Amino acid sequence: MNRNDYFEKYNKKTHFLGRVFSVITLVLLVGAPFLMGSILGASPDIGAVAKGFISVGLVWFVSSIVEFLIYTPMLGAGGSYLAFITGNLINMKIPCAVMARDIAGVKTGTPENEIVSTLSIATSSLVTIVVLALGVLLLQPIQGFLQSPVLQPAFANVVPALFGAMAYKYFRGNMGIAVFPLVIMSLLFILVPSLTGSTSMMIIPSGGIAIGIAYLKFRNKK
Amino acid sequence: MSVIATLNSFPLYLICGSIIAFVALICVVFIIRAYRAGIAMGMDPKILKRVITSSATFPILPSVGILLGVIALSGSLGLPWPWLRLSVIGALHYETQVAQAAAESVGIGTLSPETMTLSAFTTIALLMSICIMWGMVLSVFLNKGYLKKIGFKNSEDKTELNGKKKGGFGDLAMSAMFIGLVSAYIGSYIGGFVSSNGLFTFSGDWVPLGVVLVSALVMAFFVYLSEKKKKGWVDNFSIAVSMLVGMSSAILFSLI
Repeated sequence: MNRNDYFEKYNKKTHFLGRVFSVITLVLLVGAPFLMGSILGASPDIGAVAKGFISVGLVWFVSSIVEFLIYTPMLGAGGSYLAFITGNLINMKIPCAVMARDIAGVKTGTPENEIVSTLSIATSSLVTIVVLALGVLLLQPIQGFLQSPVLQPAFANVVPALFGAMAYKYFRGNMGIAVFPLVIMSLLFILVPSLTGSTSMMIIPSGGIAIGIAYLKFRNKK
Repeated sequence: MSVIATLNSFPLYLICGSIIAFVALICVVFIIRAYRAGIAMGMDPKILKRVITSSATFPILPSVGILLGVIALSGSLGLPWPWLRLSVIGALHYETQVAQAAAESVGIGTLSPETMTLSAFTTIALLMSICIMWGMVLSVFLNKGYLKKIGFKNSEDKTELNGKKKGGFGDLAMSAMFIGLVSAYIGSYIGGFVSSNGLFTFSGDWVPLGVVLVSALVMAFFVYLSEKKKKGWVDNFSIAVSMLVGMSSAILFSLI
């Protein structure tokens, strides 16, 4: 069998395995909450899931499409199936695959890149899994401390802590866009305080305002 | 047994650990296949081993950052589920946002150990799975056809080395979408402080606003280190450490 035929056969099986493993992982991930629910005697509230998906899931759905279109050609078949299964693309998998590509001196779109990218993403995913498993094991003795009442204000403020960090990252350099949705949302929540209970639904108009202003700025620049 | 203690029980570790083990097995299968194929195609084994070694060392620092994220989420969701979500598919900023949206949808308001219920937890877990699965779904249906259609050509022209696409409205729109998302939440904290006990009473909970400010300042410090001091490695920890410092400040604020 010559090199091209071999790669063709390898690639075909990669797609087969990638699809099979992706479907099994999907079933496991979506099935796990139901399984945990049956053990805990508390099934998921499907209505609340639908409501949550409309408010925040659509943002991530669009984000997933963009990531798929951009990263799949970079990573090749095996690399992209694995990257979408294991996650942490932008902060780990992509830089790791690019570094591996540089080390091996291969070009995107070649069979060699397919091999290097797959090796790189699979290895880095495995290491992450091992580090997290060891970390979780080491966290066991301090579980009691993590649940102590004195730490509870910290855990009750996970979301503001995230948005503070993200605000700095996204607002800097984009203040011209950020100021409008921030002011409008603040005024809305000040004048209609009951909206606080459904903040995630307000992401849609807030995002719409930000995208509209971004488009105007983009068009003016052109 | 408290809700959090239940969420840290053995059956949940078993379920989450089994899924993580399955994904680890997938990685092993792909490593073996790719290595054998590389050798069969005449690639230098030394280069393949270098790729494996460097790919094994590169993620150690980011993984520690991800572990800090597991700790951050473990207070309200227990340890097993954040362990699974951040080992498979997930990313810290994504998981926290979706969990918060789910918490609002089930009516517990905020992602907090005090308000968490078992039903809220399973609902949050399901929403987290459904929201993040689309990359995999697209891969199952479109990966083969998409790669065939573009034939991998010109993909390097469209991307820079750090993986970010060059210019264009797509990038700006994605940033704007996140700006809108963050603005909605910060607006809610401002509104909560100013008017939650009556219009313009300024007597609501100011702790979330203080936490936003502290974590933004810590992030600004990380950006300074990364961009001005050329310490790019701090990017691996910037979000997780900013969050942990912000969360820690909530303990101090609540004592005031």
